Amino acid sequence: MDRLVEASLRCYPARWRQRHGDEAAELAALLIRDGRPAGSIARSYLAGAVREWLTPRPGRRVRAMACALLAATSLLGVSAGLLASAGPAKAASTSQPHAQCRPAPGLLSAPGLLPAPGRAHVIIRKAGHARSC
Amino acid sequence: MAVGGQDVLRRVGEASVLILISLAGGPKHGYALIQDIKELADVQLGPGTLYGALDRLERLGLIESLPADDRRRPYRITAPGAAALRVHLDAVERVSAAGRLRLQLGGT
Repeated sequence: MDRLVEASLRCYPARWRQRHGDEAAELAALLIRDGRPAGSIARSYLAGAVREWLTPRPGRRVRAMACALLAATSLLGVSAGLLASAGPAKAASTSQPHAQCRPAPGLLSAPGLLPAPGRAHVIIRKAGHARSC
Repeated sequence: MAVGGQDVLRRVGEASVLILISLAGGPKHGYALIQDIKELADVQLGPGTLYGALDRLERLGLIESLPADDRRRPYRITAPGAAALRVHLDAVERVSAAGRLRLQLGGT
């Protein structure tokens, strides 16, 4: 059999080769004997192998879901770790109000919008300037 | 699987329909299918396309494989496969008739 065809058949998943490999090789030999170019046969098998890998299978779907679940769990773990490490620093920075972070007089029109003592995390935007307190 | 007269072959592709038509004439293995389809429809099916379509049709329960003799595995159409093919051919015939009628009415 042509080496190109052999190589293209090796591109299929093992499960497919186990089921169709021998027959596919014989079919290729018969088609070449009939005068069909080996290149076109190899091309057809190669395209078939790509389709075969891309076609979702029940077993592959379970593996993909397990991988996605593992990735999501890892991501959640990393996020939780980051949050836990950032928590104490943030608590320390917000436990005492900063005097220099009080908004300038006139920036806030409504008196009710002044930040409560100890909860001075208000972002004030006016005329393109932003201050975070 | 012609569920309630629904045309399940509409989206399986031309190769699958041609394979079903060929198998409607009796069980065949890969090489015989390619030869028959060439004679039947003047379509040269690639071997990669053939095996892809055979796998898809088998998964859908429209064909089944028979015990292999030597290295060749014959396939045959199942009862749901025959029913699905009938529904599909009826649909194609209706569209074909409508097209011919419109060509006549249009005078082209």
